[in-house]
Amino acid sequence: MFKIEILTKKGFKNPRSEHVLSDICGIGVKDVTKVEYSPLYIIDGGISSVEAETIACELLSDRITENYIVYLMQSGTERYCKVVSKSATEGDFVSVPSSDPNFSVIEVWYKKGVTDTVSESLVKAVKDLGIVKEIKVNTGHKYCLYGGVSRTILNIIATKLLANTLIQECKIR
Amino acid sequence: MKYTADCKVIEVLNLSDEQLIELSKKNVLSLSLEEMKAVQSYFKKLKRNPSDVEIETIAQTWSEHCKHKTLTGIIEYTEEREGEKTKKTYNNLLKETIFKATVELNKKWCLSVFKDNAGIIEFDLENGVAFKVETHNHPSALEPYGGSATGIGGVIRDILGVGLGAKPLANTDVFCFGDFGIEASKIPEGVHHPKRIMKGVVSGVRDYGNRMGIPTVNGAICFDDGYTANPLVYCGTMGIIPKDKIYKEVKPGDLILVVGGKTGRDGIHGATFSSVELDKESDVSAVQIGNPIIEKKVLDTMIKARDLNLYRAVTDCGAGGLSSAVGELGSKTGAVVYLDKVPLKYDGLRPWEIWISEAQERMVFAVPPEHKEEIIEVFEKENVEAVCIGEFTNEGKLTLLYNGEVVTSVDMEFLHEGVPKPVKRAVYKMKEEKIQEPVKMNSSEISISLKALLADLNVCSREWIVRQYDHEVQGQTIIKPLQGNNIEISGPGDAAVIFPYTVVKDTKRGIVLSNGLNPQYGKINPYKMAASAIEEALRNAVAVGADIRRISLLDNFCWGNPNDPEILGSLVCAAKACYKISKAFDIPFISGKDSLHNEYSIDGKKYSIPSALLISAMGVIENVENTITMPLKNDGNKIFVLGLTRNELGGSVFAKIKNICSGIVPDVYPKESKNVMEKIYQAVSENLIESCHDCSEGGIAVAVSEMAFSAGKGVKIDIDAVKTSYVLKGKEEIREEMTPAEILFSESNGRFVVEVKSDNEEKFGKIFKGTAFSEIGCVSNDKEVIFESKKNKVKIQEDFKVLLNSWRSTINW
Repeated sequence: MFKIEILTKKGFKNPRSEHVLSDICGIGVKDVTKVEYSPLYIIDGGISSVEAETIACELLSDRITENYIVYLMQSGTERYCKVVSKSATEGDFVSVPSSDPNFSVIEVWYKKGVTDTVSESLVKAVKDLGIVKEIKVNTGHKYCLYGGVSRTILNIIATKLLANTLIQECKIR
Repeated sequence: MKYTADCKVIEVLNLSDEQLIELSKKNVLSLSLEEMKAVQSYFKKLKRNPSDVEIETIAQTWSEHCKHKTLTGIIEYTEEREGEKTKKTYNNLLKETIFKATVELNKKWCLSVFKDNAGIIEFDLENGVAFKVETHNHPSALEPYGGSATGIGGVIRDILGVGLGAKPLANTDVFCFGDFGIEASKIPEGVHHPKRIMKGVVSGVRDYGNRMGIPTVNGAICFDDGYTANPLVYCGTMGIIPKDKIYKEVKPGDLILVVGGKTGRDGIHGATFSSVELDKESDVSAVQIGNPIIEKKVLDTMIKARDLNLYRAVTDCGAGGLSSAVGELGSKTGAVVYLDKVPLKYDGLRPWEIWISEAQERMVFAVPPEHKEEIIEVFEKENVEAVCIGEFTNEGKLTLLYNGEVVTSVDMEFLHEGVPKPVKRAVYKMKEEKIQEPVKMNSSEISISLKALLADLNVCSREWIVRQYDHEVQGQTIIKPLQGNNIEISGPGDAAVIFPYTVVKDTKRGIVLSNGLNPQYGKINPYKMAASAIEEALRNAVAVGADIRRISLLDNFCWGNPNDPEILGSLVCAAKACYKISKAFDIPFISGKDSLHNEYSIDGKKYSIPSALLISAMGVIENVENTITMPLKNDGNKIFVLGLTRNELGGSVFAKIKNICSGIVPDVYPKESKNVMEKIYQAVSENLIESCHDCSEGGIAVAVSEMAFSAGKGVKIDIDAVKTSYVLKGKEEIREEMTPAEILFSESNGRFVVEVKSDNEEKFGKIFKGTAFSEIGCVSNDKEVIFESKKNKVKIQEDFKVLLNSWRSTINW
């Protein structure tokens, strides 16, 4: 199982990050100073790490404006994630330690059974790419928030702005 | 594939009334006691209990969403006006008002009305144009993006499913939201903030419409706190269809072909859910998620199959899913369906879930057996899944099988005619309207009010939304939603015009789309709200050059709980207005839809939305070269107001911002208005009008300002030259002199502001002889917008950029 994260290269604007920051300010939270948005994909099936990188490079990222990181999710959980390939340079990574109180991550994923049209398209596109293997795809969204924000506020941001808890679940780190 | 056959028998035969109601509630059937008793009685005759598939099928077929039980049921109506009570019983409100007007008008150019998925009027000798507007309110309240996307996806499928399929040419969208300025802490638990709802809804319509390659060309937004927990999302689609493809007929032996998306648990109970009030416990399974890429492929392939005459009938899978679609097509014949043949997204769906799922992007076809292979090949060539799931019969029964076992066997007649007609009580007590105290304001106060009006949520620019939509795709939109001299300066167009030259070769004709909506009037007078909405839709269409003799209307009622006699009373009152105004203007309704039970619960207390009647208009324009826009064109041209200005500030935007509680709601004077509209068409055909804009929210002052700033020009207006007239209070005519503020901000119907070249003034005057019109000013080259009343010593003078900024700054995210 692989997890692929797509990052906007430094120097390029990410409109979604800007919109989210604007929306966070709009609900009265002024402590978040910067937001970085990355789409996430979990691909489950019998693909190799080379194929995962091909998918990340050819399908999911724009070489001009984006970088990718491919993680191998051992035992199917994120706890045992390790980077197997990346197009990003070290400077592109979010390398702030998770214990930093001024940095938080919110991930949003569809709940099981909810139609995920992007994943449906991706399954087809992977076949079109010549990787003829049965795969399952989950799509998610990662928001890195800079600024000292309490867990309560993070919960509000997650549930009132970023995720619709009726169909999505969020993980806050 | 592996499934779990889990078909339960539902005990109804021996249930008490209380238990029947409990069963209905527990299973989200939304059936009344009377309806549950009808089900019980039917199965008593069959001497068996129903299966869960059968009971779900009946609930979907009999749902308010599919059957429109309130508008077609019995209504005992009492109306009280000025102390006098009148009573009337309607056996079918729809047939006795809206549809009645259409029947009586009997227009030969109305090709298919109130009987298919959309109304169709004649476009030319070979083609018709179809138009449908739907609502998707409850799903959009729960999941704004998915709800609105599937709203537009659903109405596109209505157009694909009308006759043998029309090709969609344009979308429309109209929304009602709560005020997005509301503090987050004041939002009830379980309700999304209006800003989030608005952003989600707009994104949903944008993503679905744009990806389908259909331009979104016309719309409106109304803001009111009453829509905070229950927004309204109206989506419309217009399409073109060859006349020989308008009629469909299923024949016994035809195969049932399901095409498009796979079936999952999406939208289970969507049809019955629409009859349930919203609360924080509302169910996730009622949410549908759309996939426009699949629908686009279905669109392209089915038009190919249509032109090869490979099927005899088609309809879309909307509310109620296969249950409604197959039930509808087979209502006169009968059908056998093998549920285990339906393509599924995943294992584990029970038979009743397969049957009523509202998974999106599915169409159902009736295919003669001899065309089976050819039609499947057409779809499969483009990777569109097409599977035969059964056949139509001549037995008058709906039979469903799952893994060889019969899980449903009910008579089509019971399914479609067996629902008991509900008897509902409706009461309407007319509120007294009286003219407000004279609104005396000095120049500065009027100037501040004008800027406040332009910035008001119900007047301000919708550019943030409009620019997200592709209104140009297909390259046929010739009158666009934003009009002006350049991208930095634009004003609100009155209506859209589509020139379908890519599908109808060598045509000069166009299709005009417009709308009218004003729930504020309905809070005081639902009759005038309905009448005004009709007139506004017509005015908007006429303002771009439409011929009023070739316009048709669609009604979309969004009301609260019809079990409340007062709420139902206001609906009856609005329906009466639809009949009268339709007749008076000689304009037929061709289609419509109602969405009732728009209520929500906060801390156990129930609230209904402000009633909203959206009127959409579609017309055919003989020559698209004879169309006009609203920005002023040339310095020195004369400005006229057509129609009379009355002291009608009731429910107006001005009354709201000035906290004026009284005032007469704008009435409709069809004889006057129709005459003016006919003459505008004549003048436009003779190229005598340079620009035209209808007067609605904000009155003359807002209309003139919009015309000026969208052109980047100045204008000088003489307030004293505006022709004023009496207002009707009951049957009494009240004549009072109006103040400058009242003249500028009155929202009287029947008025247009037009620009005419000096050279054409005489010819223009001859055409309008005998109607109320007055020259009120001219276009100037000094960029100043000036309104002056020498009589009252009032002069408002603003740079057009100041007014433009007021208009543009409210929704500018």
